[in-house]
Amino acid sequence: MTQKRSASINLHRMRKQFTPRPLALGVASLFLAACSDNREDVIIYKTLEDCTDDNPNRVQACTLAYEEALEEARKTGPKYANMQTCEYDFGPRQCEYVDNNGGSFFMPLMAGYMLGNLLSPNRYYSQPLFTSYSPYSPYRYRYIMADGYDIGDLSKKRTKVKPGAFKPKPEIKKTMSRGGFGSTVRAKSSWGSSSRKSGWGG
Amino acid sequence: MFRLQHSPRTDWQKRADDYGFKFHTMYGQPYWDESAYYQFTLKQIEEDIEAPTEELHQMCLHAVDTVCKSEYWLEKFKIPHTFWDAVNQDWQANSPSLYSRLDLVYDGQSSAKLLENNADTPTSLYETGFWQWLWLEDNVKNGSLPKHADQFNSLQEKLVNRFAEISGFYQVAYMHFACCKNTDEDRGTVQYLQDCAAEAGLDTYFTFIEDIGLSDDNYFTDHLNQEISTVFKLYPWEFMQREDFAEPLLQASTHWIEPLWKSVVSNKALLPLLWKLFPNHPNLLPAFFEDEVNKADGQKLVKKPFFSREGANISIIEGHQTITAIDGPYGEEGYVYQAFSALPRFADNHTIVGSWLVNDKAAGISIREDTHMITQDLSRYLPHIILG
Repeated sequence: MTQKRSASINLHRMRKQFTPRPLALGVASLFLAACSDNREDVIIYKTLEDCTDDNPNRVQACTLAYEEALEEARKTGPKYANMQTCEYDFGPRQCEYVDNNGGSFFMPLMAGYMLGNLLSPNRYYSQPLFTSYSPYSPYRYRYIMADGYDIGDLSKKRTKVKPGAFKPKPEIKKTMSRGGFGSTVRAKSSWGSSSRKSGWGG
Repeated sequence: MFRLQHSPRTDWQKRADDYGFKFHTMYGQPYWDESAYYQFTLKQIEEDIEAPTEELHQMCLHAVDTVCKSEYWLEKFKIPHTFWDAVNQDWQANSPSLYSRLDLVYDGQSSAKLLENNADTPTSLYETGFWQWLWLEDNVKNGSLPKHADQFNSLQEKLVNRFAEISGFYQVAYMHFACCKNTDEDRGTVQYLQDCAAEAGLDTYFTFIEDIGLSDDNYFTDHLNQEISTVFKLYPWEFMQREDFAEPLLQASTHWIEPLWKSVVSNKALLPLLWKLFPNHPNLLPAFFEDEVNKADGQKLVKKPFFSREGANISIIEGHQTITAIDGPYGEEGYVYQAFSALPRFADNHTIVGSWLVNDKAAGISIREDTHMITQDLSRYLPHIILG
């Protein structure tokens, strides 16, 4: 007889609360080892020359990877309406004016780019990295990805990142207006039946 | 089909905390109720629910095709004129759907009858796909239910697979998820779908419906100004089609889940159309538009607004008399009439079966009970098993 219910469910993902309990050291380190296994090795370069110096016979791959990272940085990197707020987050002289089809912005300079799989003959991956020199930023002297994922401190050259770190990130846009959805729910909620939950599913 | 008393798991509330099930009790009333469960035979599930569910779904798709091809029906369904082309294009493009829930009258013996199709924003998804699944696992593990007890519930497995298919269809590695502010239940449902999508390998981003923005180059954006390329929205199409962003909606290239063509299926006008396309089908109840209600021959009818959620604005009428009515904020677009079919009663409760589909595959059921004859948003949720 075939089973009519889901064969298995990843309970670890479904769990939302982690009750603190004394962990035997052996168990803890096993867990960490299991985690680090599927993380990906990456190399971080600050400039195109850093890459070509390291890989003199891979100049073309280095150049393409660098250009891709620059392009990606323009699309997915943090964007600001003025220089002051950008410099507040990233530090003095760390921002530039960018004008592309998505609009004009102030953006932090790309601090470097990370490469995965560079030495494979098939496919390398690249992602732009940013850093902050601002005393007001939690990312000061740290490499971060466009989505805020913290790679480690600026001195790092080789490190490991979470699986999926090279997946494409959503592009940052200039938002002109907001709040164009949701007016019906406001109108119908104020109608005010006492027993109703506020959900709009059915 | 039986209703059997059963001891709740002693630690169920702690389990609920651990797994983030926050809305098991609402307004001091139990919503999740495991002091009893429903038991079905495999034959009841497969022949009376699973097969008719998939057949009803195909009939609904046939109805969508009929509506999309005809201005007469688009008008009758109260789809705003500006959306006619877009709905039709979305349907012709085969934009992938994720899920839906058919509400059925079923008593274990007679043919299940379709009450309505919640095809756009169905909830009670987490309780079904995950929480009642865990209830069965726990009860089998602690020996209070037999090892061979099963459940009609492959919902989570199918959702995960469907997210993988949709990400392939649109060639996306990340997806946005959105619902309205101030609702634990909707946020819980959307979080559940995020978990399923993450299990399928997608990166997920959450934003509130009210925070969605529009960029100067016609992209919808989230609260962090990130482009929304593909989004699951737990918010009705009939609202979106009438709000300020309705016009940009027609220009923007965002992929919506559920897709736009679902606005035809979640519409109650579907019920009288189905009855015209498939008259006397064993799983349908006679249904009529306002201008043909005389065809009902004075039988007891349920009057439903075109657009309504969770029992709101539904009334039961006989001749010219309203027998019972639920008030609510819906109904300005008009009403349809459906032959009354009493919900079966189990221990003083009126019981309704929700039958889930992921895309076009039947994926499980949810059981709701209410002391009132029209089940509403505070109806209790009970788990079920298959035995024998």
